[in-house]
Amino acid sequence: MQKLGYLWDTFSKGIFKENPVAYQVLGICSALAVTVQMKTAFVMGVALTSVTALSNLIISLLRKQIPSNIRIIVELVVIASLVIVTDQILKAFYYDISKQLSVFVGLIITNCIVLGRAEAFALANPPLPSLLDGIGNGLGYSLILILVAFFREFLGSGKIFGLAVIPQSLYDAGYSNMGLMVLAPGAFFVIGFLVWLKNCIPGISSEQEGPNQ
Amino acid sequence: MLELSFLHKDQLRAVRFAAIVSFISCMMITAASSGLKHRQLENIELDKQKNILKAAGLIDDSKPVDKSVIKSLFDTQITHLALDGEGQAIAAPTPDSLNLYLHRLDSRIISFIIPIDSRGLWGKINGYIALAADGETVVGFSIYSHSETPGLGGEIEKQWFSKNFVGKKIVNATGQFVSVAIAKGKVTPASGEVELNTVDGISGATLTGKYLSEGIKIILEQYEPVSVRFRQGDYTGFK
Repeated sequence: MQKLGYLWDTFSKGIFKENPVAYQVLGICSALAVTVQMKTAFVMGVALTSVTALSNLIISLLRKQIPSNIRIIVELVVIASLVIVTDQILKAFYYDISKQLSVFVGLIITNCIVLGRAEAFALANPPLPSLLDGIGNGLGYSLILILVAFFREFLGSGKIFGLAVIPQSLYDAGYSNMGLMVLAPGAFFVIGFLVWLKNCIPGISSEQEGPNQ
Repeated sequence: MLELSFLHKDQLRAVRFAAIVSFISCMMITAASSGLKHRQLENIELDKQKNILKAAGLIDDSKPVDKSVIKSLFDTQITHLALDGEGQAIAAPTPDSLNLYLHRLDSRIISFIIPIDSRGLWGKINGYIALAADGETVVGFSIYSHSETPGLGGEIEKQWFSKNFVGKKIVNATGQFVSVAIAKGKVTPASGEVELNTVDGISGATLTGKYLSEGIKIILEQYEPVSVRFRQGDYTGFK
């Protein structure tokens, strides 16, 4: 039972308590770039979750063999290979989305979440918790991305997942989309707002629990 | 045997480990890249065909179009031609020959489609512009790759912007070539913009519009010999 509880903690930490974007403040760059539309944010979330999960699993399996003086290089090689494979798969099966994500799939390599989890968790923990930690952090990142994209797409283009939700009559009555939301500052505001909101909810952030808990 | 005493045992291990990891990664990437290459090339080709059809006005963005529909429309109605600088069709494409796509329906030429390769604010803009068989009226416009700001310059790929081009002329009232230009915001006849040759631009994306106008002009100038032949009704080599 205790083991299950530990695994659940490892998994859920990445989603809520230690959310990579809202708590660790990692991966902000791509959170700004691909959140204009929910569709791209969703695919980016899936891509990053699979890369983080697999890289954590592989690094964890290799953790006893990796010579410590070249561990960062080895981690990067593993991550970079996974990202390139993901990119190739997207290009082959989801060409339109891969075109919209453009360079940002490749930039998963430099996303601090992936290397951060490999270095901080996978190197010191067995494969199963590492895999769960990777999935948890990936989902935490996706959650923030989709939330940010929801606000940006809804307020900025009047759409949700590409479907127009604001009736034409409202536009005719003088409503107009908020141009700021489709630009980078819009993302900053929404992310800042989400971080603030998260820190307001008692008990959800590790910060409020005090040291050594 | 070669004495490698300057290398510590641990260092040798590290080198061996790095070599193995690199080798496995290489195999993985190569497998993915060559295994999926066929599908990727097919996607790129399909995307190109889709955009040519969009420029020709055969399909639009309002609903998703099936792969097979794109293929059959393209195969039955669009022909690719290579032209020399004077607008004459040549048998084999050369590095500096012009690419032209003809939209034909029952062997009658409806329009001809010119690839656009322009400078943008942040990077290259690629697309197609289709001119009617009269050699002067724009029938369609589509952009398939650009790196303009989403929501601002990025709007050039949207249908509402493409539609602005339909019906515009690349010649002025006296038949002189002037190209089509993109206005700063809405077309304002008061400031000397001729409605016939100017399309509504995107407010907040003046520079994208400026560079794209320049790009379109350069390309259309290059293709002017072809357009002239169409204006004169000289279709030799196009049948």
